[in-house]
Amino acid sequence: MIENLFQRKILIFFLVYLFLTSHINALDFKAYGFIQPESSIYINGDGKHNQDNYNTSFFGKGTFISYLQEGDAKFTISAIGRFDQNDDELRYLDFQKFKYEYYFDDIALKVGNEIVFWGVNETFNVVDIINQSNLAEDIAGTKKLGQPMASISYSQDYGIFDIYLMPYFRERPFAGKEGRPRLLFEVDKNSITYESSAKKRKMDFALRYSAVIEDLDIGLSHFYGNNRTPVLSPNPSTLKFDSHYPILSQTGVDIQATKGPWLYKLESVSAKDGSERHLSAAGGIEYTYYSIRNTQSDLGVIVEYAFDDRNDNPFNNEGVIGLRWSLNDIKSSSLIAGYVFDIRGNSNRFQAEFEQRVNDDLKLFFDVSLNGSIDKADFTHQFKEDSSLTLKIAKYF
Amino acid sequence: MKIYSFLFILILIFNFSSFAETDEEIGLKIAKEAYESTRGYIDSTSEQLMILIDPKGNEVIREISGKNLENMDPDDGDKSLIFFNKPKDVQGTVMLSHTHVNDDDDQWLYLPALGRVKRISSSNKSGAFMGSEISFEDFSGLDYRKYDWKYLGEENYEGEVCYKLESYPKYENSGYTKRIGLTDELLRARKIEYYDRKGDLLKTIYFEDHKLYNDAIWFADTFRVVNHQNDNSTIYKWENRQLNIGLNKKDFEKSSLMRLAD
Repeated sequence: MIENLFQRKILIFFLVYLFLTSHINALDFKAYGFIQPESSIYINGDGKHNQDNYNTSFFGKGTFISYLQEGDAKFTISAIGRFDQNDDELRYLDFQKFKYEYYFDDIALKVGNEIVFWGVNETFNVVDIINQSNLAEDIAGTKKLGQPMASISYSQDYGIFDIYLMPYFRERPFAGKEGRPRLLFEVDKNSITYESSAKKRKMDFALRYSAVIEDLDIGLSHFYGNNRTPVLSPNPSTLKFDSHYPILSQTGVDIQATKGPWLYKLESVSAKDGSERHLSAAGGIEYTYYSIRNTQSDLGVIVEYAFDDRNDNPFNNEGVIGLRWSLNDIKSSSLIAGYVFDIRGNSNRFQAEFEQRVNDDLKLFFDVSLNGSIDKADFTHQFKEDSSLTLKIAKYF
Repeated sequence: MKIYSFLFILILIFNFSSFAETDEEIGLKIAKEAYESTRGYIDSTSEQLMILIDPKGNEVIREISGKNLENMDPDDGDKSLIFFNKPKDVQGTVMLSHTHVNDDDDQWLYLPALGRVKRISSSNKSGAFMGSEISFEDFSGLDYRKYDWKYLGEENYEGEVCYKLESYPKYENSGYTKRIGLTDELLRARKIEYYDRKGDLLKTIYFEDHKLYNDAIWFADTFRVVNHQNDNSTIYKWENRQLNIGLNKKDFEKSSLMRLAD
């Protein structure tokens, strides 16, 4: 599903380009990927909206990289896709990367779809804004959609400047009617409004400066464009959510200090979203105990806190305590567990991910997501009955 | 005139004869010369193959490729890039290290699943590298600046006379308390025994398949590591090693990780 003309044009251009160049040079490329069947059980019984207790899903990713012009240029395709038993919104193909890059000495040019991550935190990614989040995949918003862009990087000893021009906006996917977890109402795809008159075609713009100064990794960024997060309002006649995308103007900073086994992290933005200005900040500390009890295993402890001066924001006063246990064995076994809680209220939830390699091309994942007591007023209350266990097996090729 | 010549010769003898040096000075001198004989590679690329063998003889394969950049600063360490290829679930992961002599390294990891570069703590140079018996610390084990040295005498090894050297790590987070190694007359390390933090014998690395690169530098193309405590072993092989090929220095910066990855 090539969903717009911009992407289709690039696709045709590169297929022709590849066809022509492959006759001139021996094509130097890498290709790899995986397919991953998944099975989930919802342990609170039927969902609030009568969704199924069981779900099966197939996820896959393929990456193709071709090095051109003796390594001065590169063409990358990286696509993900899913076919879900129950949720229509989780049947998709997305070109996370579909890009051509050219490198001069200090300057790099890039055209196409790309994933760009900004920030340092494990849980609360306040600064990250370039890519749209796929909320059907994950309500925390960590799964992204490829963003069409043209970008320029200029690197000097004192840091790097990146400029991004984004000519096409991608609307946020939400879980569908049969999806689990899902919002109280469906999000109506036929009722979407924008503050910008150019709507999806608004040229979004971003600038970032980043540098490494000894123990510090710092980034300063500014974004001006369609907010990736829409305002949802229930429509009494359709019983669905209407969405509105305001224009966002956001200035952000992210800093990490690495001091031996200690990591100190801070992200903050000041943003004008539509007509309102707000401040968000999140930060934390991570400490790793190495070779615990004279074994090869390491234990990392992560504490993060998020603040937002908007009272209705779901992350206005939240904390997380996490553990990362890496056995450093032949199977690369690891366990990540996190307890997320609202500082003032009683809401809390627990998430854990265990993974272990079975052999060279097979890996097993086991995810646990448990919702504890959740205040009625809390954003996550609508997901209260969606505690789940998920088993995934990835086959790499 | 004669008497002056005699005195001059006498001074020469006292200056250069070995009995004027302590075992520590001789040890340092050999280690320094051995280290300096591996310098001048400028930059290098290689493919690396690891075979991890458990006590039952089960084998697991790891494959990475590497790029290195020599640091001419006498007080600092080299830079390296590691591209992970096998096991397949780590394919696309890239690690950048700016090593330091007696301090934590600076390390960044590009994680393709997240599309994200993370600065990571490197206080654990002694941890298992990809589940093997080799640690990150071992890759720079010939850097004389990282240890205090002591010459223990000569010893025959595989029919050759070798210098026997004891070394004690200066780095506070080292996984070792002591190493005893043999260095041959071409100044090539042949084997090193490692003693853990409790002072017990942990492992031995045998340096094999020595090859003369660019008519100037000897590198061991195989490290055979035997762990005496858990009976695991690792065979670490370098293939297609190339030196002084004119790599771009900028490749070894954080900003290049995304470019070098996917």
